[in-house]
Amino acid sequence: MALFRGRERKTAAQIFTASMADIVFLLLVFFILTYKVEVDRTKMNLPDTWVRIKVPEKAAVVSIAPPDSDPPLTIRVSTGEEMSLPVSTDEEVVTFASTEVARNPNKEFIIKADDSVPYERVDAVLDALKQSKVKYIFLLSDQKTVDE
Amino acid sequence: MRIKKKKNVPSEIFTGSMADISFLLIIYFMITSAFSATRGLDFALPEDTQTPEIKQEDSIDVHVMRGGVIEVDQKGVPIEGLLPYVAQKLKQNPDKPVILRTDPDATYGDMILVFDELRQAPDKIDMEIKTISIPTRREIENLWSMLGIQ
Repeated sequence: MALFRGRERKTAAQIFTASMADIVFLLLVFFILTYKVEVDRTKMNLPDTWVRIKVPEKAAVVSIAPPDSDPPLTIRVSTGEEMSLPVSTDEEVVTFASTEVARNPNKEFIIKADDSVPYERVDAVLDALKQSKVKYIFLLSDQKTVDE
Repeated sequence: MRIKKKKNVPSEIFTGSMADISFLLIIYFMITSAFSATRGLDFALPEDTQTPEIKQEDSIDVHVMRGGVIEVDQKGVPIEGLLPYVAQKLKQNPDKPVILRTDPDATYGDMILVFDELRQAPDKIDMEIKTISIPTRREIENLWSMLGIQ
């Protein structure tokens, strides 16, 4: 039996971080590929639907804010490439849509409205788009789930 | 005279700060990216040249009222009864269009609920509704004035 025991080597506890850079790069690539600029950031509760078709990129957006927002029921428009701007009258929606249709007769339009908005406001926007000879309209919605 | 040998310094790119830059970029993308809704219900508006004249009696008239109450051809119907009724009518005439009218004081959510139900016809009743028309209030009033209805 050995009388003298060798000194135990102390191993410093450490976290292995060599793969962290790889993970970060992977996440970075994911975010770069999926990054999209949201042209309208109006907070709202979209209606839920089972049928959902993918809306085209660069489609023009007309959003109607909820009745409890400040100011209520504000209409904002965006060409799909620039951030949305508020409009004060339905005639301005007609002017905006007509300009977009004149540039591209097949331009798609998205109506983004809160589900509590009185239909009267949506009807006015629909009417403005019809007057402007818009051909394709998408009504933005969230996915409906079984428990709803 | 003795000439000292030059030390060979290996050339390399300094990558020590790359992880910091990546973290900075990742934080930027995480904060600014938003998971926005990119799907919805679509519908195409008829062009002027092909606008068919739809008479109310030749179509299925779906009327959405306040609180999501539905009337189909002037009869109250629950949402579950809408497609079976439409299926009956489509068996007689598969080209029969559906007119979806909504009261101004109903909500957008009420209208979307019914529109979504009608769009599910191929899955639920195995029949396709060829035309779903969503007339605006102005169009309905114009039609009424043409027909002399106040």
